[in-house]
Amino acid sequence: MNNNIVENLKKEINNFSLQLKIEKVGHVIEVFDGIVKVSGLSDIKSSEMVTFPGGETGVALNLEEDAVGVIILGDFSKIKEGDEVKATGRILEIPVSDNILGRVVNGLGLAIDGKGAIKSEKTYPIEKVAPGVVTRLSVDQPVATGIKVIDAIIPVGRGQRELIIGDRQTGKTAIAIDAILNQKGQNMICVYVSIGQKDSKLRKIEARLEAGGAMAYTVIVSAGASEAAALSYIAPYTGVSIAEYFMDQGKDVMIIYDDLSKHAVAYREISLLLRRPPGREAYPGDVFYLHSRLLERACRRNEKYGGGSITAFPIIETQAGDISAYIPTNVISITDGQIFLETDLFYKGIRPAVNVGFSVSRVGSTAQIKAVKKVAGTLKLDLAQFRELEAFAQFGSDLDESTKRQLERGKRAIEVLKQPQYAPMKIEHQVVVFYALVKGYMDDVPLEKIKAFETGLIEYSERNAKTFYKEVLEKKMWAEKGEAELIKAIEDFKSGFNK
Amino acid sequence: MAIATNNDIAKAIYLASKENPVNVVTETVRFFARKRLMSRAPDILARLEKIVHKAENKIRAKVTSAEQLGQTEKSNIEHFLKKRYEVTGILFEEVVDKKVVGGVKIEIDDEVLDLTVKNRIHKLQEYLIS
Repeated sequence: MNNNIVENLKKEINNFSLQLKIEKVGHVIEVFDGIVKVSGLSDIKSSEMVTFPGGETGVALNLEEDAVGVIILGDFSKIKEGDEVKATGRILEIPVSDNILGRVVNGLGLAIDGKGAIKSEKTYPIEKVAPGVVTRLSVDQPVATGIKVIDAIIPVGRGQRELIIGDRQTGKTAIAIDAILNQKGQNMICVYVSIGQKDSKLRKIEARLEAGGAMAYTVIVSAGASEAAALSYIAPYTGVSIAEYFMDQGKDVMIIYDDLSKHAVAYREISLLLRRPPGREAYPGDVFYLHSRLLERACRRNEKYGGGSITAFPIIETQAGDISAYIPTNVISITDGQIFLETDLFYKGIRPAVNVGFSVSRVGSTAQIKAVKKVAGTLKLDLAQFRELEAFAQFGSDLDESTKRQLERGKRAIEVLKQPQYAPMKIEHQVVVFYALVKGYMDDVPLEKIKAFETGLIEYSERNAKTFYKEVLEKKMWAEKGEAELIKAIEDFKSGFNK
Repeated sequence: MAIATNNDIAKAIYLASKENPVNVVTETVRFFARKRLMSRAPDILARLEKIVHKAENKIRAKVTSAEQLGQTEKSNIEHFLKKRYEVTGILFEEVVDKKVVGGVKIEIDDEVLDLTVKNRIHKLQEYLIS
């Protein structure tokens, strides 16, 4: 046994070859709040990694004439004035491998879930230029989130950037988690980036994903509220680098940034400490670029360049529903649409609390499957008309038949769009439910029985309209035979349900 | 208004010294006092030294070794540095430090060539841990 250790050590020492080269070094001038000013390091690049004597890593952000401003990624309490700082010549990079799936990592890509180190042979730089136009494809493949209101009215395609925006406690994270849970068997890798969240919340999310069997295809990148602002700043870039690693293998990836408001705040903190001039709301001048360069890395690549896609769901938390604040307007303009969540709707019991009027998907409709498009095509307009009529109906009681019908249909549509948390619905089931709604089969079902009707109809139709399901799943649209079968199933179920 | 960096001030002192070498010391001290730059003086003077050396085609090299360097070793290092930095003169600053165990460490501005035994052991340690 002992002989083996000695032999192994000898072997390793023999394998060791030292290549001594001239290194660029600097010296710490001052240390404060996770920022270090370094003299020297004359040829350093922006975002280059530097190392300190205690093994800490930093990133050079401010390249000034006299000094270099470095942010410390980790504990800065051991760094002293006069310490030697070495430039590495490399842009900050993280280890990546397939073993990262199912793990929780920090902003530097290192495991923090207590399951041991992640073996990896490759590294990816966290800052990368987004894929160019020639490498891209337009969005035409759907992402099934399993949330009826999103899949029907605000459809999202693979490679799209869809913002989830709303006040605190309106269900933004719930939508993201539901979307991850629904990716089981959909050939999608998920990356959840948690920025400045409470560790207890992250633990809850991890447990929920684990229970739903979603951790098998998910990676969680966490920069907690107690960690340095520098780690919150790099966490989304780490997340997208992990996503790019999988995309480079031709896989489809979904990434959630929860949330970019806290990311902007972390960057503001760093910028102010680096003494960069503050602009609107004290954010630095390049806060738009901070998010645009991140979200531009979401794309769908053509086959010639390896295929694969990154679909991004950035989350923004608004204050008192103010979407005209600086960061919300920035991210709205960068993304391909937004899912707007409202506190009022949430407390009215309409959950997910999506405001259909303010929400939009600019490119997703091309990705929506034909069957969903057919049944949900007019739903948005119908709901808008319902809201208008509902407002008028409050003033008078004498309404004509068609208006009454429209109001009843609208109420049922809202009831159908309600969905409990962690209960994503398969796309074929959604088609059946919306079909029954838009064809008027639910018009005479009492409002309080809509949910029971929906559940029952799904169960019944699955057994009695197999052709319809087969057609929708295989051809993405039903044919005459399948439709006739579904109509019969709905009518049969309804006659039994009304008894 | 742009803030004058330490480098800008050092360059200005150098140019002033070329025009009026007699009064430059007094004027510089007065300028530092008037503009409250005394705390920045060491860095400004270090930069001024570099500017002067550059103008004279010289460099300052700090050489750390475990033992006092012999004449041959010194001339070998001088030859190497003159060739690498394309300068005519080398100003040696010799430091004897037993902690480096053996070999030499050469520092020129922010460049370091560490050929000490201490560094080799440290690198071997890093290699074995990883």
